[in-house]
Amino acid sequence: MPPQIPHADPGTPDTRGPMRYLWWLVRCQPWRVLRGSLFSMAWMTGLSAQPYLIAHAVDDGLRARDTRALTLWVAAVVVAGMALSYLGIMRHRTMTFIREDAKARSAEVLLRQLSRIGAALPRRSAAGEVATVGGSDIDWTAQVLTLTGPGVGAIVACGVIAVVLWSISPLLALCVLAGVPAVALVVGPLLRRLERAESIYRKQQGALTARSGDIVAGLRVLAGVGGRDLFARRYAARSQDLRAEGYRVGAVVSWIDAATVAIPGLFLAVVVWLTARMAVTGAVSVGELVAVYGYVASLIVPVWFLMEGSHQLIRGRVAAQRIADLLRLTPDDVGGPGRRWPSAVPDARHPDAVAAPSGPADLHDPVTGLTVHAGRLTAVAADDPAAAVALADRLGRYVVSDTTWGGVPLTGVALDEVRARILVADHDSYLFAGALRDVLRPGSDDERLRTALRTASADDIVDALPAGLDTPLDARARTLSGGQRQRVRLARSLLAEPEVLILVDPTSAVDAHTEARIADRLRTARAGRTTVVLATSPLLLGRADVVALLSGGRITATGTHEGLLEYVPGYRHLVARGDDDPVAERPADAEEAYR
Amino acid sequence: MTRLPVADRRTVRRALRDLISRHRRAVGIVLALHSAAALAGLAPPWLLGTIVDRVTAGTVVATVDRLALAIAGCVLVSALLSRYAQYAGHRFAERAVAELREQFVSRTLGLPVSVVERAGSGDLATRSSIDVATVGTTVRDVVPVIVIASVQLTLLFGAVFLLHPLLGLAALAGLPSIVAVTRWYLRRASSAYLTEGAAAAELTETLTTTAEGARTVEALRLADDRIRHGTARVTGVWQARRATLALRTVFFSAVEASYPLPIAMVLLVGGYLLAADRVSLGAVVAAALYLQQAVDPMDRLLQWTEQAQRGFASYARVLGVGLVPPEPPGATTTSRGERLVVRTARFSYADGHDVLHGIDLEVQPGERLAVVGPSGAGKSTLARLLAGIDAPRQGVVSIGGCPVTDLDPAERRRRIALVTQEHHVFIGSVRDNLAFAAPDASDEQMRAALATVGADWYDELAEGLDTALGDGARQLGAAEAQQLALARLVLADPHTLILDEATAALDPSTARRTERALAAVLVGRTVIAIAHRLNTAHDADRVAVLADGRITEIGSHDDLVAAGGAYAALWRSWHAHADERQR
Repeated sequence: MPPQIPHADPGTPDTRGPMRYLWWLVRCQPWRVLRGSLFSMAWMTGLSAQPYLIAHAVDDGLRARDTRALTLWVAAVVVAGMALSYLGIMRHRTMTFIREDAKARSAEVLLRQLSRIGAALPRRSAAGEVATVGGSDIDWTAQVLTLTGPGVGAIVACGVIAVVLWSISPLLALCVLAGVPAVALVVGPLLRRLERAESIYRKQQGALTARSGDIVAGLRVLAGVGGRDLFARRYAARSQDLRAEGYRVGAVVSWIDAATVAIPGLFLAVVVWLTARMAVTGAVSVGELVAVYGYVASLIVPVWFLMEGSHQLIRGRVAAQRIADLLRLTPDDVGGPGRRWPSAVPDARHPDAVAAPSGPADLHDPVTGLTVHAGRLTAVAADDPAAAVALADRLGRYVVSDTTWGGVPLTGVALDEVRARILVADHDSYLFAGALRDVLRPGSDDERLRTALRTASADDIVDALPAGLDTPLDARARTLSGGQRQRVRLARSLLAEPEVLILVDPTSAVDAHTEARIADRLRTARAGRTTVVLATSPLLLGRADVVALLSGGRITATGTHEGLLEYVPGYRHLVARGDDDPVAERPADAEEAYR
Repeated sequence: MTRLPVADRRTVRRALRDLISRHRRAVGIVLALHSAAALAGLAPPWLLGTIVDRVTAGTVVATVDRLALAIAGCVLVSALLSRYAQYAGHRFAERAVAELREQFVSRTLGLPVSVVERAGSGDLATRSSIDVATVGTTVRDVVPVIVIASVQLTLLFGAVFLLHPLLGLAALAGLPSIVAVTRWYLRRASSAYLTEGAAAAELTETLTTTAEGARTVEALRLADDRIRHGTARVTGVWQARRATLALRTVFFSAVEASYPLPIAMVLLVGGYLLAADRVSLGAVVAAALYLQQAVDPMDRLLQWTEQAQRGFASYARVLGVGLVPPEPPGATTTSRGERLVVRTARFSYADGHDVLHGIDLEVQPGERLAVVGPSGAGKSTLARLLAGIDAPRQGVVSIGGCPVTDLDPAERRRRIALVTQEHHVFIGSVRDNLAFAAPDASDEQMRAALATVGADWYDELAEGLDTALGDGARQLGAAEAQQLALARLVLADPHTLILDEATAALDPSTARRTERALAAVLVGRTVIAIAHRLNTAHDADRVAVLADGRITEIGSHDDLVAAGGAYAALWRSWHAHADERQR
C-alpha cells in the first residue's frame, strides 16, 4: 500500500549509527518491506521460468513435432510473461513506496531538527553540508532499502536456480554456487573504481559549471568594466582541461565496462561448455542444454542486483552517517533550565524555570553596565561593531551571561518565553523564500502589514513589485537591493511585536532621506515599548530617549544625543562620521524636508 | 519579462546534423566498432544452436569443445571491440560537449546586458547549469546507450530474418503495442520528470535555507512555520513521484507484457516451418534465444529514450541563447572630447511608465558630481543611461557629442566604467578578480590599488594575490568585495567613472576615507557618484538632487545649502546637533 506522506509524526530516529538509522527506516514500515521482499523473490525466481518453458517448447513441441504440446507450452510462455510483468511492476511499485517513505521520513526528521536547533547550527555545521545531506544523502540512504527487496530476491533466485540445476546435474549446480559469488567478487570492486573515476570527473565538471554560473552572475559587472574576452578564454582553457580529463576517465571506464560484460559472459561460456559435453554423452537432453543456458543467462539480473546492492550499501552507509551526525547535533547551552531537547511542545514552560517579570521590565547587562529601561527607546553607539553584536547576544540570551531582567537572571527564565518576549533583529537576519506577505509574517492581515511597512518606509518596495504583497521572493530576497532588504527585515521584526525589540544596525544601507523617515516612524510605532537600537547614525541616535556610548567594552556615557555631542568628545568623533568640516548653519527642524 | 528564445526543432536538427558532419570520421568509426562488437555478441546463441544441431545429429566431445571455445572467443572479441567502440564514442562526446559549452559561454558573454536583465538572470543561470549539463550527460552517457542498443537490436532482428524471413516477421509480433505505449509515455514523461526534479530541488532548498537561517528561525520563532513549509515540499515531492510512478506503471507493464509475444510467435511459426522441413531445429532455437537476448537492449533503449528527449529539449534552450542578436559592435570608436551631455532624456522599463521625465544634465571633464535623492527617484536608471547600458526612450545621452550607445561596447567600457553596489566576486584568485579590467597591470600596481581603496584585509592573505576567493575558499564580506571592485576600477583607470552606491557596504567612516583616497588617485577623471550618504555630496564639486525622475536642484553644496531647499533641510537634519555646539 502507498505510504501516507507526509507522515503525521515521522517518529524518533535511531541516530546511534548509520546501520541503526537504516534499520529504523526499515522498522517504520515492516509490512511494506515484507511485501517488497515477497514480490522481489517471486519476480526474480519467475525470470528463470521463461527458459524452463522455452526448453519444454523446444523439447516436447518442436523436437517431438507435437503441435498440441508446442501450442500449450507457447501459451504458457505468454501467460508466464504476463504474470512476470505483473510481478515486476508490483515489485517496482512496492520498492518505490519503500524508498519514498524512507526519503520522506528522513526529510521530515531533518526538517524538524534544522528548524528547532536554532542559532547553534551555522557554527556547528556548514550550510554546504546540509545541502549535500538534503541533495543526495537522503536519496542514497533510501537506495539502501532496495536491498530488502531485490537483494533478498536475488539470493533466493540464485538458490532456486541452483536447486533446479541440481536436478539436471549436481556439478552444474556447484558451478553456479561457486561461480556467482566469484563473479560478484571480481566485478564488485570494479564498480567501485568506476564510480571513483567518474566522481573525480563529475567534481571537475561541477567546478566548470560553477564557473559558467559565475560568469552569468557577474555579467553585469563585466558589462560595467569590461573583460569579457579574458573570461571566454579562461573558460575555454578549463573546458579543454575537463575534456582531457574526460579522455582519461573514458579510457578507464571503457575497460571496466567491457570487463563487467566479459566476465559474466565467460562464466556463461564455461557452463555451456560443461553442459554441452554432458549432452554429447547423453547425460543431459538437448532441451536441458538450452534450459541451462537460459537459467544461467537469467542469473545476470540477480547478480547485477547483488553487485549494485553491495555498492549502494557502501555509499548509503556514509550518507546515513552524515544524516545521523546532523540529527545528533544539540543546541548551544545558553544557560538555565529553559531548553528541553528535543522539545516536543515548543511553547511549554519548563517546570524549573524562574518566573519571568510579568510585565515590561528593565534589562541590565553587567558586562558593559548598560541598563535598558522598560518602555523607552534606548540607542547604543558602539565604537566597535563587534562589541555591539556581543551586547545584543547577551541581551537576547544567545550566550550565557549574567544579564538580568527585572532583577531576575535572564538565564533562569524559560528560553521559550525569552524568545517570545525579547527579539534581537540582526542586520543580516535571514529572509526565506516565499510570497512577501509570508516573509513578513505568515497569517498577518493586510492592515498590520501595511502599517509595519510604512514604519519601515518600505511601502514603495511593495508598490514596485509586480504582484505587491503576493510577489514571490527568492531566498535572501536576492531580487531586492541591499537597502530594500534591510527595510523588509525591519518591517518583519516590527510585525513580531515583541515586548523588547533589539535592532542591530537597522538602517546602514538606506539613504539619508529614508533613514530620517524611518527614525521618526520607528519612534512613534514603538512608543511606550522597550526598544534598543545599536547604531552610529546621528539620524537614529537623535530620536532616542536615552543614548549610551559603548567604548572600549564599557558604557562610558549616557544621556541625550545632544548632551553627549556637546560634552563627550569620543561620542562626537564617533557619530560625526569622521567629518572634520563642521558646517556653521542654523539649527532647523529636519522634518521640514519630508513634509 | 521577455524570456530568452528557445530554438525550434528544425534549428536543433540542423545543429545536430552539423555536429555529426563535423565529426564524420569519428562517428563512422564509433558506429563500425559497435556494429562489429554486436555482431561478435550474436555468435554465442548461434554457436549454441550449432551445438544443439550437432548434438542432435550425434557428435564427438572434441567438436563441442571447439564450439564452446569459439563462444568464449566471441565473448572476448565482443568485449574488446565494445571497449574500443565505447572509448572512441567517449572521446567524440567529450569533444562535442566541450565545443558546445565553450560556444555557449562565449555567446553568453556576448549578450547585451539589457536582454539578460529583461529575461531575468535565473533563466540564463538555469541554461548554463542544468541545460548544458543535461546535454552533456545526454551526449556522453545516453546517446552511446541508445546507439549500442539500436545497433544490437538491428543486428538481432536482422539475424532472425536471415535465419528465415518468416521467423523475422513473427519476431515483430510485440512491436505494435510497444510502439503505441512508448508514444503515449513519451508525450507525458518529460514534463512529469521535470516536475519531479523541480520538486526535489525545492525540498533541498528548503532544508538548506532553513539551516542557513537557523538563527533567524530561533529569533522569530519560525520553527513551526518552517516545518509546515517543508512538509508542503515533502508532499510536493511525493505527489510528483507518484505521478511519474503512475506513468512507469502503465509503460513498463505494457512493454514487459509484450516481450514474450515475439518469442511465442517465433516458436509457433518455427514449429510450422519445421514441420514443412524449411528450417532446422537449431535455427528456431537460435531465433528464440536471439529474441530473449533482445529484451535487454530493448529495455535500455526504452528507458533512455525519455532522457534523450529531455536532452533534446535542453539542447534547444542552449541553442536559443545563440539566437539573441549579440551586442551591436557600435557605429563608432571615437568621440571628440569627454563632455557628458544629457538632453531631455526620458526612460521607461517594460511596464511603460516613465522612470525619468526629461533629464537635462551636463558634466564637464574632470568634474565630480554627486547625485542624491530618495530611493525610487531614478538614480540607478540615470547611471545606466550614462554608462550606455540602456538607451533613453526619448532624448539623448552623449559623450563628446557622440551618443554613448553608438560607441563600440568594448571601447565604451574602457572609457566609462560603472560600478554598482552589486559586489560579485568571481571564482578565482585575487589577481583574477583584478586583472580582467586591466590585463597589463603589474602585481605592484594591483597591490597599490588595493591599498588605495583601504583593503587592509589583503595584508592578512597568506598567498597574496594568488589567494583563491569564493565558495570553499576565502569568502569576502560585502565590504571587502566592494573594495575589490573599487581596486579594479583604479586599475582600469577609465576617464569617466559612474559609482552607483559603490561604497554603500562599507562602514561610514571607511566609506568616506575610501572615497577621498579614490578622489586623490582619480584626479582629473570625471566622477559621477550616486550616494545615500551626504558626506559624499559635501565632497563633490556639484550636487544634483533627483526626485521622482526629475532633477529638482543642482549646484554646489554650498549654493544648495544656501538656497534652503530640500537638500539644505536634509543636510541640516544631518548636522543639526553638530551646529549647536558652535553656538
